[in-house]
Amino acid sequence: MSNINGKVYAMNCVTPMKPWKTPILRLIFFLLWHIKSKQQDLINLSFIEFARWVIVPKTQFPYLGNRQHKEQLQYDYLLFFSNFNGTWNQYIDAFSAVLSTGLNLIWRWSEKFPGAVPITPFKTYIAQVQFDTDYYYTAYPYATANDLKAAHIVQASLDQLSQRVDTDNPDQFAEHYLQFVLQVQAHLGVTGAAPLC
Amino acid sequence: MPNQNGKLYGLTFLAPIIDDQKATPSHDLQIRAYLATLPTDQNSPFAKAPSTHLCRLVVMDDVVFVGHPAHEEHLKSKYLIFETNCDSDATDYLTGLAKTIPQQLDAIWSHCVGYPGAANLSEFLSYMKACQLKTTFFFAAVNDKSLPESLRALATQRAVVDFIADHQGMDPGRLQSEFKQFLAELKACPIPEPGAMAPLRNIKTGGRNE
Amino acid sequence: MSKLNETDIQGFVLRGYNLPFARHLFLHFEDSARARKFIFELLDQITTGQRWDHGKPESTLNIAFTHRGLVALDLPTATLLSFPVEFQEGMKRRAEILGDTGASDPTKWDELWQKDGIHSWLGISAVSPEALDARSAQLQSLMSETNGATLLGSQDAASLFFDGKPCNKEHFGFTDGFGNPDYLGVDRDSQPGQGKLMPDGTWQRLATGELLLGYADEAGELPPAPVPHLLASNGTFMVYRKLHQNVATFRAYLDSQAANYGGGKEKLAAKFIGRWRDGTPLELSPDQPDQSIVMDPARSTNFTYANDPSGTRCPIGAHVRRVHPRDAFGFNGKLIDRRRITRRGLPYGKAALENEPITDSDERGVIFIALNASLVRQFEFIQQQWINYGNDAHQGNDKDILMGNHGGKGRFVVQGDTNLANPPLVCSHLPNFVELRGGDYFFLPSITALGMIGMDLVDPR
Repeated sequence: MSNINGKVYAMNCVTPMKPWKTPILRLIFFLLWHIKSKQQDLINLSFIEFARWVIVPKTQFPYLGNRQHKEQLQYDYLLFFSNFNGTWNQYIDAFSAVLSTGLNLIWRWSEKFPGAVPITPFKTYIAQVQFDTDYYYTAYPYATANDLKAAHIVQASLDQLSQRVDTDNPDQFAEHYLQFVLQVQAHLGVTGAAPLC
Repeated sequence: MPNQNGKLYGLTFLAPIIDDQKATPSHDLQIRAYLATLPTDQNSPFAKAPSTHLCRLVVMDDVVFVGHPAHEEHLKSKYLIFETNCDSDATDYLTGLAKTIPQQLDAIWSHCVGYPGAANLSEFLSYMKACQLKTTFFFAAVNDKSLPESLRALATQRAVVDFIADHQGMDPGRLQSEFKQFLAELKACPIPEPGAMAPLRNIKTGGRNE
Repeated sequence: MSKLNETDIQGFVLRGYNLPFARHLFLHFEDSARARKFIFELLDQITTGQRWDHGKPESTLNIAFTHRGLVALDLPTATLLSFPVEFQEGMKRRAEILGDTGASDPTKWDELWQKDGIHSWLGISAVSPEALDARSAQLQSLMSETNGATLLGSQDAASLFFDGKPCNKEHFGFTDGFGNPDYLGVDRDSQPGQGKLMPDGTWQRLATGELLLGYADEAGELPPAPVPHLLASNGTFMVYRKLHQNVATFRAYLDSQAANYGGGKEKLAAKFIGRWRDGTPLELSPDQPDQSIVMDPARSTNFTYANDPSGTRCPIGAHVRRVHPRDAFGFNGKLIDRRRITRRGLPYGKAALENEPITDSDERGVIFIALNASLVRQFEFIQQQWINYGNDAHQGNDKDILMGNHGGKGRFVVQGDTNLANPPLVCSHLPNFVELRGGDYFFLPSITALGMIGMDLVDPR
């Protein structure tokens, strides 16, 4: 039972929200989704493989009858699931340093959220609302988001070069090969095990 | 479409766990015990079933009391969370699971309320749909490549570095013929096993994070 | 912010002394009362951060303690437990986190460091070997008089001397000593490139709390610190690492790789580090060294990587680019403001001329010393994530070419372009150029805190 598999960490958080605030958060997510430029910072942070937010309104916890008791709740709940590379501290440090506005926009509607800056109360809150993963699977434990992006660049460049190999003469090929190397030269880091924490 | 980002799907399921005072250990603990021994590497059931990039199973005991002035409240049931990042929509994905790993699905979800078993596909799908939550916002760093494409690219990248390193300063004729050979070998290579840690050196996995 | 009280802070923290000779003494305390008396007697000899208005002293003295040293001094339990976990564990127990395995594994360390007896560090810097010896002798007699400490071992270090003159080079031939950060309140001329990068492209001093405990840091708060506050304030944490350098292997490797590199040996050496051997930054002068840049404080560290995203000037995995990424991670450099360290330290061992026959087993290396307010967030992070790993630099698992624990399997890519004098090159089978021979984490207290320790007045409330 671990939050970590290879180079990726599974974080789970649940926070309560007063129901009248939920539609505001839905609007914010709607805008975030449709205004692509707002997602650019998230993309540039480049250590998140997958992340999601799930709003669970107080009446919508799955109810399947059969002697299950129906939930009677005051709050709506915001579930957050992240799959990120690096350590817990590194992840939160980075968000607090450069994406605090975005974080505040999403979590200010959750009860007792202290804000993403300064860092210590923020980390205390996250530790409080985080719960642990029982089972975590990744198809590529030896690869981070960066490694994946690099791999796809290399694959695409290789595919391009392979179209030349039968039609070029050796000198032409050598030139195209050099172009290929220059295209991929920043993306050649070897993949493997994660550093021990 | 919130469950989807590009070609990737982010599916979230919340299944209420059976609350039976007479069960010893309780159903949530039984799920935990089973999950604790389930392999997370290439022997994982999710490596055998198709299309899963990353997934997790989490027993959510309760919601969190964040402290006064927030009110304290509690869930009446525990829930099994299944969060998956995959290449297919819910119907296709769940069908894939039911067909390839029904035993493991049953071992886990039999502890949940109203679970019909994976044998009857339509009942299984209805059950899971009843447990499905709508993902409000889904982010994927690489959202346009399937799992087999990603595994293949990772293997390619590794092979390419070796090739470049071993062919520096080579004369063009030889370079070209060796490159042709390299392409053929790469093509013949099977896609790496999903879930496997690449074999490089002595590996230390996971452990408590700082 | 409030002005720093330089008389309360040990000088070693605020400034490099620029004295060419150093001796590091490692002490053991048998009895807490006698040890405290020894510290109390030492108090007015400790060099503070006060300016030297009458010229440099003959020698300086500073002191620090390991956690087991604080335990041996019988500090209150609550205080001892309030120190950060990584400091309590000590550097040896953190070996796997730091990548100190294989050739750098603790079982390969000098005997002094394999045992767990070191309680305190005394650092002497001096103008001459005679002044060094004089100070050591004086300390030895104080130790005997008070019976307050025993000397377990010592380590000398000194600037490398060529033709009888000291210089700033280390054993691989590179000019060292650039890039120590500028902090608010620390009275040292700031240089563009040393502080933190601002959105408008200027450089500003870092928050004091990145170096000293008790001050606001870059995260917008007074960070948690050991209790009582008076014990921690104006103090800092020190990393001491004896890094053995395999100079013969390095020279051989550089020669063999240079044979395949169109830019020549000196350029390749520059590509490894990110600076030419004379200190010229590759980003500012990619084709040849330029002493005029090195000698100009307004230019010698004043550069960013914005115009070099592909690494064709300075390779993406080059040493200086890894340990001080500046704007390379985007966000105007904001991601790295809390990952800076202040370096002190000198080489040890005799300088070797370029063609002198040498072996790896010769005693040569650098005493690496780093000062920071948080070991785990600053030094350990750099060591684990940027030296022995490469993901933040988008270099996968590739390690820093100079200091990485390669074990013979490492790889370093020199990005290039179509210019024949700047071709791409993949360097493989990297051996360990550097091996760790010992070290630990120390707490370097303020003068007030030393007084409290010496007088047994530490109260965690």
